[in-house]
Amino acid sequence: MTAQGLFQESGLKQITVWARGVYQNKEARDVVVALTEAAALEGKFVQAWENYVDLPDRIYVPVRAYGKISDQEIESRYVYENEAPDIVALTEETLVKGVDILSGIKPGAVLVINTKRTPEYVFKFLKNGVENLGTIVTVDADSLAKSIITLSGAEGATDASGIGKGTGAVLAAAIVKATGIVKFDSLLQVVANKNAAKKAFEQATVVDAKTLVKAG
Amino acid sequence: MIPLEKIPFAGTVPSPQTENEGMITGNWRTRRPILDVDKCTDCRICWISCPDSCINVSDTAPLTFNLKYCKGCGICNEVCPVGAISLVPELDFED
Repeated sequence: MTAQGLFQESGLKQITVWARGVYQNKEARDVVVALTEAAALEGKFVQAWENYVDLPDRIYVPVRAYGKISDQEIESRYVYENEAPDIVALTEETLVKGVDILSGIKPGAVLVINTKRTPEYVFKFLKNGVENLGTIVTVDADSLAKSIITLSGAEGATDASGIGKGTGAVLAAAIVKATGIVKFDSLLQVVANKNAAKKAFEQATVVDAKTLVKAG
Repeated sequence: MIPLEKIPFAGTVPSPQTENEGMITGNWRTRRPILDVDKCTDCRICWISCPDSCINVSDTAPLTFNLKYCKGCGICNEVCPVGAISLVPELDFED
């Protein structure tokens, strides 16, 4: 049973972050928590949580973290998965291949990928759900920050390692550049690795997906 | 219930003949193993070491990898005594 059509929430933006298994959980969590904390500073209603359906997570298994940002109270608070994401972020590039990352996206959705490759090359691997895709953003997060590998904060425990110390800050900055979902200054107040976020804000490559569809 | 005489010696069994279509794990892979046929000495250490039995050996052809289930763990790359297996990023391949 899905929640499609149960709630009419016009101001709701859903963020889904895909990551790999055990070692990238922290980065996925960083992205959603950084964005939702920044939105909370601006007075919006937010939710951020990790996906339990993808568990047990083992190394290399695709897992998800979800975030919701809205200007009104979120009525679908207990809907467990983000069924219509506006933003899809990938912490690892190979997730475009063989994983259905674009299922259910809203029209004009934004796809953000941590990769050294060009958006045109990565676009070739996207099979389902490309019709609604609005923008593709690529940013080379590994060159701007070191990926944090920690189990602190995993599965709902207290996070002692801080928000946005590693590549999570880079991805969140790229998301803000492409969508403006929160103000960049709010994001800078929340993340720890401010230099990487600023560099990512300048360096992220934003490409309109419609031009790629016509070319390919 | 298998009688004692029928249990294979040392518990060895032939290579798996069936796949579990309910758990296709090829999309877990971030690096693909590639064989350098000139270096391979056919010692079969990789075949025995693969945790998922994803290496197919034959007496006539070079060994191949079962990419539907290979998870890219890299054990074959580590154990190969001559370094005939290398790991290439999966996005380099368009298939």
